[in-house]
Parts: sequence; C-alpha cells; structure tokens
Amino acid sequence: MDPEPATETFDPTSITRPGSVLLTYYILVSVLTLVGFPFVFLPLYFKYHTLKYTFDDKGISMSWGILFRKEIYLTYRRIQDIHVTRNLFHRWLGLAAVSIQTASGSSGAEMTIEGIDEPEKMRDFLYSQMRGARGETGESETEAVAQDDSADDEALALLREIRDELKGMREKAGAKL
Amino acid sequence: MSEPVINVASWMYEGIWSGLTEYFRVPRKAPSIPARRAGGGETHESFRPAAGFLGYLKFFFWLICVLILVGLIILSITIMITEFSLGVILLLVFLVVILLPASVAYLAIHLRYDTTWYVMTDRSLRIRRGIWVIHETTITFENIQNVSVSQGPLQRYFGISDVVVETAGGGGDSKQKGLQVSNQGIIEGIANADEIRDRILSRMRQSVSAGLGDEAEGGQSIGRARWTPEHLTALRDIRAEIALLSN
Repeated sequence: MDPEPATETFDPTSITRPGSVLLTYYILVSVLTLVGFPFVFLPLYFKYHTLKYTFDDKGISMSWGILFRKEIYLTYRRIQDIHVTRNLFHRWLGLAAVSIQTASGSSGAEMTIEGIDEPEKMRDFLYSQMRGARGETGESETEAVAQDDSADDEALALLREIRDELKGMREKAGAKL
Repeated sequence: MSEPVINVASWMYEGIWSGLTEYFRVPRKAPSIPARRAGGGETHESFRPAAGFLGYLKFFFWLICVLILVGLIILSITIMITEFSLGVILLLVFLVVILLPASVAYLAIHLRYDTTWYVMTDRSLRIRRGIWVIHETTITFENIQNVSVSQGPLQRYFGISDVVVETAGGGGDSKQKGLQVSNQGIIEGIANADEIRDRILSRMRQSVSAGLGDEAEGGQSIGRARWTPEHLTALRDIRAEIALLSN
C-alpha cells in the first residue's frame, strides 16, 4: 500500500471479470479447511466462474451464482466507507478484499470486490468517486455561492420588473380616477 | 535494562520487521490518501497511537502473565504437598513452556503498535491496523454521523483515549465485533483525542448535507434562499406599490 500516483491510468470500466489469481486464492483457502475442502471449494469455484463486475459512470454492479443468483448494484455516491482487508494469502498473491459500506442497516459490507489485480488503484478510484472526496466541503462552498449570484441577480431583475409593472398599473389607475 | 540489551533487542526487532515485510508483505510505511487536486495544499497528516497506548497494552500483558504465574505456582504447591519432586519439575516445565507464548505476545504488542496508522486529510480519514490480516478503513468526513470519545480509568492513567467515528447504518451487533466493525472507525490510544475530535467536528460542520449520499452537486442548496439587501428593497417597493394601488 505504497503511495499511488493518480488514478487516471486506471480504467475500471474495462474490468468485467476477476483475475485468475482469485481462483488460486480460493483453492488455498479451501485447502486450509482440510476435510472440508470439497464443501468449501465447490461454491467458491462456481462463484469464481460466474462472478461478473460492471463499472459504469454512476455505480458498480456485481453478480454471481448458478443455482442461487445474486446481483448487487450500488452507486459510487452512496459509498460511505471503504474497507480494504488483506490477509497473508491476499498479500502474497497481490489481492485484497475491497468492501464497500453504504448507509443500509446491515452490519456487514454491502459489496465485497475480490480478485482485482490492482486493489490499491481500485480503492483509490472508489475513494475519488465516493461522497465527500470531491468538492462538497470547504472551498467549494464559496464557489457555489459565487455561481448562485448570477441566479440571484435574475431573481432581483424579476422583482424589479414586477415593481415597475405595479407602478405602471397604479399610475394608469390614478390617471383614470 | 542496560544499553547493550536494548540494542540487541531493537536489532532483533528490526530483523523481525524486515522478515515480515519481505516474506509476509506487511507494509511498514504509513498509508497515504491521494490528494484531490495536485498541489492543492491539502493537509496530509499521518500519526500513530501515543506512547501511552504501548504502556496500556503492556499493562494487560503483565497482568495476564502474573495471573497465570500465580495460578501455576498454586497448582505446583498443591502437587508439592503430596509429591515434592514432581511438583518442582512441573513448575520448572511450566515456566519454560510459558516463556515462548509470553515472548510472542510481547512481540505482538509491539508489532500491533507499529502497524497501527491513522491518516487524516482535509476530506477523509484512513485507519490501518493488523499484522496477519491488515484492515484498512477509509471514511470521508462528509459521511460521518457522529464522533465519540471514550476513556476508561486505566486509559486515563496512561493519558490516552479512543475516538470513535461512525457513519450511518450498521447493525445492532456493533459492540460485539470489536475493532473491525464496518460502519465505524476507531482511532484508539491517542493522547490528543480532544484535538482530533474537534478537527473532525469542524470538518463535519462544513458539510451541507445529512451525510447520506444526498446529491448536493456543488452545494446548490446553500445559495438558493439567500436574499441580498437589493432583493429586500425591491420587495418593499412592491409592497408599497400594492398598498398605494389598493387605497
């Protein structure tokens, strides 16, 4: 997790499938369970082969499963916290589990992105897209006010027009009397 | 401890660290957060728990050591009453056996302290901790719902406190899962908790939204209802005109 430059060179939209190292990782994890190997490995094997990611300009969707299909969609702007968890195997294989948390009630992560070859870049990309990493706080407020001044001026002009119209009406009415 | 002992200990510790970074890919450097704009003058500060946190962890270590030792001695003495030589041998074996896990635990405390990093920028907070499993949490101040500071009596003695930062959501079992709760970030064992809390709070106050993913693009909601004196003059003029008209 050394300092990364910018995320400009990283294009998440090209990611649709996890890297093949993920299967290696799943095998390692399953082997660790010894007797449980077939029971642990089979679901993970199918998960690996059906796992699909779609990154668009607003959000991420992720789907997997054969018998029980699951699909998750969330928008970048709803991301509240990003968790990167790396165990020993993850670090050896250059992987990480990037978990994304939104404001929903579940205590676990809403989405866990696994098997990305460059997890740091993925994390930095998500960070740059999530709420609060952009210009919502601080100096942007003054910018926003400055932008709104033009709109206010229009409102002022409208008010002045109404006043002048009323003045005209009153003068006309005064002339009739 | 004398100086050579400390030297040898720190040399060994460095050796363990280089082994960890080499073979187990444990990062030793502080994490970093990419800046929003290049050269935008954003602050980027990384810190780790205060020295008191190490003392706090070691206190528990020694407490548990003493408790186990007392238990073993009592056990050995009861055996000694019936069979003296067996009791002495057992006591010696216990003492040797306990030494290994104790030194590993002592090392783990130091490693835990050295792998804990907190990074704060103008916009976000990143917490990284862990040796075997490294957990890293990134939260932007915009999303923070509340900040709490907690300090126990022992922590007060060591001059440290924990700052807990929470975002929205999260399940009810957050207390049980300890440090790896997904919707909160725990900055534990820092000496300047009040300062950190105030900094987070001042960042939170600048936020215009409820921190729930509201689409406040560029903060349009701020300037909308802002009336300037010119507006008020124009509105007063209109009122006067209407008043004249109805008379």
